[in-house]
Amino acid sequence: MEEADRILIHSLRQAGTAIPPDVQTLKAFTTELVVEAVVRCLHVISPAVGSGLSPLLPPAMSARFRLAMSLAQACMDLGYPMELGYQNFLYPSEPDLRDLLLFLAERLPTDATEDADQPAGDSAILLRAIGNQIRDQLALPWVPPLLRTPKLQRLQGSALQQPFHSSRLVLPELSSRGEQREFQASSLLLPAPTQVPWLVGRAASLLEHHAIQLCQHVSRDRPGDEDWTHRTPRLPLQDDPQAPRQRLHKQLAEHLRQSWGPPGVLPKFRDLGELLQAWGAGARTGTLKGSRFTHSEKFTFYLEPQAQAAQLADVPATSHRPEQDTRAPQEQELESLQEQLAGMNRNIEEVEADMKTLGINLVQVESECRQSDLSIMEQEQALRLKSQAVELLPDGAANLAKLQLVVESSAQRVIHLAGQWEKHRVPLLAEYRHLRKLQDCRELESSRRLAEIQELHHSVRAAVEEARRKEEVYKQLVSELETLPRDVSRLAYTQRILEIVGNIRKQKEEITKILSDTKELQKEINSLSGKLDRTFAVTDELVFKDAKKDDAVRKAYKYLAALHENCSQLIQTIEDTGTIMREVRDLEEQIETEMGKKTLSNLEKICEDYRALRQENAGLLGRLREA
Amino acid sequence: MELSEYVQRGLQTLADPGAFPSGAFPLLLRAAFRSLLDAPAAQAALDHPDLKHIDPVVLKHCHAAVATYILEAGKHGVDAAALSSHLEDCKFDQERIELFCTEYQVTYFKNLNEQLLLFSALIGRSLPHITDVSWRLEYQIKTNQLHKMYRPSYLLTLNVESNDSQPYSEISFSCSMEQLQDLVGKLKDASKSLERATQL
Repeated sequence: MEEADRILIHSLRQAGTAIPPDVQTLKAFTTELVVEAVVRCLHVISPAVGSGLSPLLPPAMSARFRLAMSLAQACMDLGYPMELGYQNFLYPSEPDLRDLLLFLAERLPTDATEDADQPAGDSAILLRAIGNQIRDQLALPWVPPLLRTPKLQRLQGSALQQPFHSSRLVLPELSSRGEQREFQASSLLLPAPTQVPWLVGRAASLLEHHAIQLCQHVSRDRPGDEDWTHRTPRLPLQDDPQAPRQRLHKQLAEHLRQSWGPPGVLPKFRDLGELLQAWGAGARTGTLKGSRFTHSEKFTFYLEPQAQAAQLADVPATSHRPEQDTRAPQEQELESLQEQLAGMNRNIEEVEADMKTLGINLVQVESECRQSDLSIMEQEQALRLKSQAVELLPDGAANLAKLQLVVESSAQRVIHLAGQWEKHRVPLLAEYRHLRKLQDCRELESSRRLAEIQELHHSVRAAVEEARRKEEVYKQLVSELETLPRDVSRLAYTQRILEIVGNIRKQKEEITKILSDTKELQKEINSLSGKLDRTFAVTDELVFKDAKKDDAVRKAYKYLAALHENCSQLIQTIEDTGTIMREVRDLEEQIETEMGKKTLSNLEKICEDYRALRQENAGLLGRLREA
Repeated sequence: MELSEYVQRGLQTLADPGAFPSGAFPLLLRAAFRSLLDAPAAQAALDHPDLKHIDPVVLKHCHAAVATYILEAGKHGVDAAALSSHLEDCKFDQERIELFCTEYQVTYFKNLNEQLLLFSALIGRSLPHITDVSWRLEYQIKTNQLHKMYRPSYLLTLNVESNDSQPYSEISFSCSMEQLQDLVGKLKDASKSLERATQL
């Protein structure tokens, strides 16, 4: 019984009931535990039914009653054969409880299916590794800090940890050139690890520098990689230092274009530099604005709208008058040079355009030349033909006859040749067709064989994959088996079950033997009693016949009758004793079962609960009356 | 273990027997290891006469690359076998691999006094470790606002592992009974979830 209870408790624990570990038998199950176990089993068996019930027993008596009734209803709906009422849950008796829990435990879905499809993905492996690490660390006992080895110190203490301070390192590059390389080669640049004097900071700086290199490298090489999105985000990228500058240039160009709109439609310039040059070429007419276009820092003056341009001109003018004298001749020279440059550019462009048109003309003329050559050749051919005809013309008729003969002979030759050709052609064609068919067949076969070979390859690969997967699963299961808790040993149970089955078979045999013995005894008893009756009847008659005449015989007859009666009484008493002993045994069994039901304690509990229920009712009535 | 291009190039140069003759290799290796362990001796290590004929930029590049590689290997907990296979991938020849592995093992696993062992464990911040707790019960009868308080509360002191650099070694606080129950409940939850994590 204990073992069966333990198995039952184990399966209840697996269903989710939190049974405290010291509860080993069903006798120790309290009402709350019973209710919780039943509700959790119902949850697992049929979530729809079990979701409305709470596993905790409410304190109010009426709520408890309701919960117990709904539980009974749910269990009966599941198919429990016997009648259930609230008393089975609130005042449980051991045998009934065992039946009920066994019934529910049978209904629980087997969790063999859950274990079979283990997620073997990366995340599961990682979680398992984490679980193993945590388990190892939990298994280590706590050691006071002064006695720890460094390995334990890493796991158990944090007092000796130093914070992560990294400093910037300057690392030499193999691919550097020129002045940079000279600096890196000199003794001014210390080797990287010695650039930081503090040991832990050295390691920290090297690690951080390496991580930054990795990030840059990865982001540069894989702009569209799918895996990139799956990686955890690394350090933020160091922006290309040119990017902000480019952005600033673009913004300035836009702004300047907008603010200088009025002096005509400006052509599209690609960047700030061209814009500036164009202005430099065109803005030489006068004020000192022309002196500023080379310096980007002083653009702020140009960003104001043209309405304030005059104001603008005054401001730079006033501050720059002293410098104006020294710079004017330079400016003029610059302007003249630029004029020349512009003129040269214009010339170059014109010449280029001319070159282009001339090239096109050349191409056209060449094509015309080729065409005229072709027509000349055709006409020459026609001329030759006509000249030959003209030569033959004087000897007209004879030449005509000759020509006809020639034509006929050539026609005949053609026919003759055609016939020969036919003769050759037919067998060759037949052979060709034959070879073609052969080749087709061979191709078919070879393609079929190729397909077969590919299929075989596929199946081999699939089988290898399958084998590998199964080996992995096997390894995982073996490792899991080692870590499984050892409190339920199935081998012992199966052996015990087989023993019990053997015992039962032996008992059955003994019972049949006893039954047959009993039947035989009963038959003997029947035959003996029959014989007894018959003997008594015969002796009775015999003696009675003689009893009328003789006194002694009459006394003998009385003794015989008395003997028979006494013996029959004895037999009767023995039979009664037997029946009474059987009844005693039955009653003892009944007493045991009834004692197991704890009816007395349950009755007391019922009385208490009844009283509590009445009090609750009275309280509720009182509140109702108040409100 | 991922290595950046810089480190990979350094290792490739180091593996090449043309650029690094076999006399210079162990010197550079030892210099790299020592530079990660002691502070002062590292400066002189690169001035060894055998290393003078190699281009100084190459030398420094390789030195930095080797130091980074050693730290990364230690951070990932790579053991000597995996290290040797990784070095084979980087095309080192056999004797250099053996030299590297012996030095690595000596530094990381055998010499417990060297600080490089568990370097990555020594760097970091973590919350203080609690080693002990002591508590007292107090009963407030009245305060200056309320005359009949009659409320119990707990005064707890958590002893924390300390060393010389940490200024405090105790955390003291007071809480009511419900808060203490809450705290204990949370601790139990935490330990239960740890156990659940071990069972997957």
